[in-house]
Amino acid sequence: MSAATATTTRQIQFREALREAMSEEMRRDPRVFLMGEEVAQYQGAYKVSQGMLEEFGPRRIIDTPISENGFAGLGIGAAMMGLRPIIEFMSWSFSLVAADQILNNAPKMLYMSGGQFGCPIVFRGNDGAGGQLGSTHSWAVEGLFSNVPGLRIAIPSTPYDAKGLLKTAIRCDDPVFFLESERMLGNKGPVPEEEYLIPFGVADIKRAGADCTIVSFGRPVHFCLEAAEKLAAEGIECEVIDGRTIRPLDIDTIIESVKKTGYCVVVDQSWPFGSVASEVAAQVYERAMDYLDNRVYRVCSDDVPAPYSKALEQAMLPHAGKIIEAVKKAMYLA
Amino acid sequence: MAIEIKMPRLSDTMEAGTLVKWNVKEGDKVDAGQVLADIETDKATMEMPTYDAGRVAKIVCPVGASVAVGETLMILAEEGESIEQAVQSVGAAAGGAGESAPREAKTGAARAREAHGKPDSANAATMVKSKSDASAGVAAPVPTSNGADGEGPSGRMLVSPLARRIAEENDLDLSTVKGTGPQGRIIKRDVLAALGRDESPAAATTSKATPPSSAPAPLASAPTALGGKVALSNMRQTIARRLVESKTTIPHYQVSVSVNADPLLDLRTTLNEQLASQNVKLSVNDFLVRACALAIHQHPHFNAAWKGDSLLIGEHVNIGVAVALPEERGGGLVVATLRDADRKGLRQISAETKALADKARSKGLSLEEMADSTFTISNLGMFDVDFFTAIINPPNAAILAVGAALKKPVVRNDQLAIGHEMTCTLSCDHRIIDGASGARFLQTLKAMLENPATLLV
Repeated sequence: MSAATATTTRQIQFREALREAMSEEMRRDPRVFLMGEEVAQYQGAYKVSQGMLEEFGPRRIIDTPISENGFAGLGIGAAMMGLRPIIEFMSWSFSLVAADQILNNAPKMLYMSGGQFGCPIVFRGNDGAGGQLGSTHSWAVEGLFSNVPGLRIAIPSTPYDAKGLLKTAIRCDDPVFFLESERMLGNKGPVPEEEYLIPFGVADIKRAGADCTIVSFGRPVHFCLEAAEKLAAEGIECEVIDGRTIRPLDIDTIIESVKKTGYCVVVDQSWPFGSVASEVAAQVYERAMDYLDNRVYRVCSDDVPAPYSKALEQAMLPHAGKIIEAVKKAMYLA
Repeated sequence: MAIEIKMPRLSDTMEAGTLVKWNVKEGDKVDAGQVLADIETDKATMEMPTYDAGRVAKIVCPVGASVAVGETLMILAEEGESIEQAVQSVGAAAGGAGESAPREAKTGAARAREAHGKPDSANAATMVKSKSDASAGVAAPVPTSNGADGEGPSGRMLVSPLARRIAEENDLDLSTVKGTGPQGRIIKRDVLAALGRDESPAAATTSKATPPSSAPAPLASAPTALGGKVALSNMRQTIARRLVESKTTIPHYQVSVSVNADPLLDLRTTLNEQLASQNVKLSVNDFLVRACALAIHQHPHFNAAWKGDSLLIGEHVNIGVAVALPEERGGGLVVATLRDADRKGLRQISAETKALADKARSKGLSLEEMADSTFTISNLGMFDVDFFTAIINPPNAAILAVGAALKKPVVRNDQLAIGHEMTCTLSCDHRIIDGASGARFLQTLKAMLENPATLLV
C-alpha cells in the first residue's frame, strides 16, 4: 500500500480500478477480451465495464445470453487456443451452473493435456452476500472453490489491490477466480496513475499490531479493521493481515505475525465447515503450534443458508462485533 | 492388600468433589500414572491419576456423585490379589460414596499406612489413598491431606504451547505455575508472571474484561476503586511466599547509619556535567552499588549464604537491585542482578542498571537476569523517605535499604550547617553476621560514600 498512500494519490472507485485494469491490459495485449451478461450494451450490470464497448468494440466486449455454462466453456476453449478471456459472472452464485466448466475443466486442462494446453482465463464477478439476495444468490464461493488444485483465487479488499491483482490475473497463465463484492464496488481508495502489478501470494498488512493477529480476505477485511480500531481504544493492538489471494496463500506472512502475537483470529465470509478460515487455522497449527497461546478462533458466516431478512442476514455474516468477541476470547480477555 | 483410592484434595479450598467421569471400569488393569477419573472441584475439572498399578476391584463412587475429600472412590486389587479378596479386605467400606458416615467407627485395629509419595510434594496432596491390611478386614482412617499446598491439578497439566515453550526456554518448572486460563490452563501471562515479567497491553484490559465464571479471576491490575477482591498474580504469590519464608526463617536485625551525602552529590554533579556529552548520567544508586561491591571485599561474610550446616561464601560479588514495576502493568517487584559489580566501573554499572531496569519495566527480565545475587540494595530515595528497613532477599545475608539524601541541619566542623544526609539501613541475617560486623560494614560503606573519589578507582 505504500505506493498508493503516497502524497496526493487520486481516489477512485473499486469499479473504476477494475475497469482500468481490464482496459490497460486490453490495450497492451490484443488477445484479451471481456465476455459476460450485460457487459457491453448496458455498460455492465454494475457499471464495471462502462465505456469499454466504445473503446474496444463489440469483438472484444461481448454480451452473452444468460448461459453461464455456455460462455464459461466458450471462454475456456478460447483460452486453450491462445486467447486471454475475461469472463464476467454477474454473481459468483451464478457460476455454479458452470461448475463443470470452471472447476472440472479449466483448472485441470494443463495437467490433463500433459502440458499442451494451459487455460489462461479470468473469471470475475461479485462474491459474498450482496444484501438481501436470498439463499441462492448470496454465495461466498471461496470456501468451496479453494479446495480445487490448478486454479488461483484473488479476493481484493481495496481499489488499489483490485487493480494490481486483476492486471496480474489477466497476465497469469492459470485460470484465476477473481472475487469482487458488489458491496464494495462504490468504495473509493487511492490508486496511483502509474502502472503497477501486485503479485499473487503476497499478503498485505493492513494494520500493524503486536497483540493479536487477524487474518482475512476480501470484504471482511474492512470489518476486521473496524474491530481493530475499536479494540485499539481498549489498548489491544491487532495486526490485520489481508491475504489478498487465497490460492496461493501467503502463509509465511501469517506465521510471522502469529509468532509475534501468539494469538490468531481468522475471519472468512464462507461457511465454517471446510472453510478458508479452517485451512488457515490448520496451516497455523502445522507451522506455529509452539507459538500459540490459545487455539485459533474462526469467525465465519453461520452454518446456514443466507437468510433473506436483513437482520438475520447481518447476524449470519461476519461483522466487527463477532471479531471483537473472538479477539477477546483468543486473548483470554473474555 | 487392597488399595483404596480416595477423593483427593485438589485445591486449598476444596471440601468435596464431583466425580465427572470414570475412565476405567471394574476389572480393568491400571498402570501407575494412569488417569482413573475426572473430578470437578470448586475451581476446575481435573484428572485423577493412580500412583499404584493394580486391577479395578470395585468402583464405589457413581458418576455424578459429590463426595467429600477423603471418601473412598474406588478399590484397587494389588498384584496377586483377587478382586474378591480386595473388595472383601476393604469390607464394609464399599458401602456407597454418597454416605459420609465416619469410617473411624469401623476401623477397629486397622492402622493407617503412610501415604505413598513425598509428603510435601504437590502430588501427595492430589492423591490420597490408603492400604488396608487384608487381615484386619477393615479400612483405615486416612489423613485427607499431607499438608502440601495443593497447587496445580493432578495428572495432566493444561498448558498452551506458547506457555510451554517460554517455560522451557527459561527453565521454569511449570508445576509451580498456577494457570488462569480455562480449566486452569497455564497460558503465556501466567508463565510471564511467574518469571517476573508482566505481559503487554492486555494486562491493562484484563481487569475490565469479565472473567469466565469457571476460572479464577485474572489479576486486576491497579484497582482504582476501594473494596473488592483481587486474585493473586503468580508474581504476587512468589513475592508473598519468598518474603514470608525470609521473615520467618531468617533472624533479621537492622543497623542504621547516616551518611553525609554532600561529597557524593557534588561528585555526581561534576561527573554528570563532564560526561553529559557521552550520554552518561550516574545516579546515586550507581555509587551505592559500587560502594557495596567494594565493601563486600573487606567483609566477605556479606557475600555468604546460609546452608544449614555451613556458610557458602560467594566467589562473585553480584549486587541485586530491587526494581518496582509500574502499577499500570500489575505492579510487583523484581531484583535485577548486576554480576561482578566489584569488577565494574561506575559507567558500566550505570549503563547495566538502566538497561536492566528498563527491561524489567517494559518486557520483564529473564530468570538469568534475576538470579544469583549475593547482596541486595533497595533504594526508595526517589520517594523522599527518611529511612526504611528491608526484608532480606534469600539466600542473601543482608540487604541495604537506602533513603533519600535530604537537606537537613547538620553539624560540620563543629558548626551548624545545611547539608544532605542519607540514611542507610542494613538488614542482616544474624546467623551469618553479628551486630558488630554489620556496624563495621556500614562504617566502611559510610567512609566510601563520604569520600566518593575512592569509588572511582
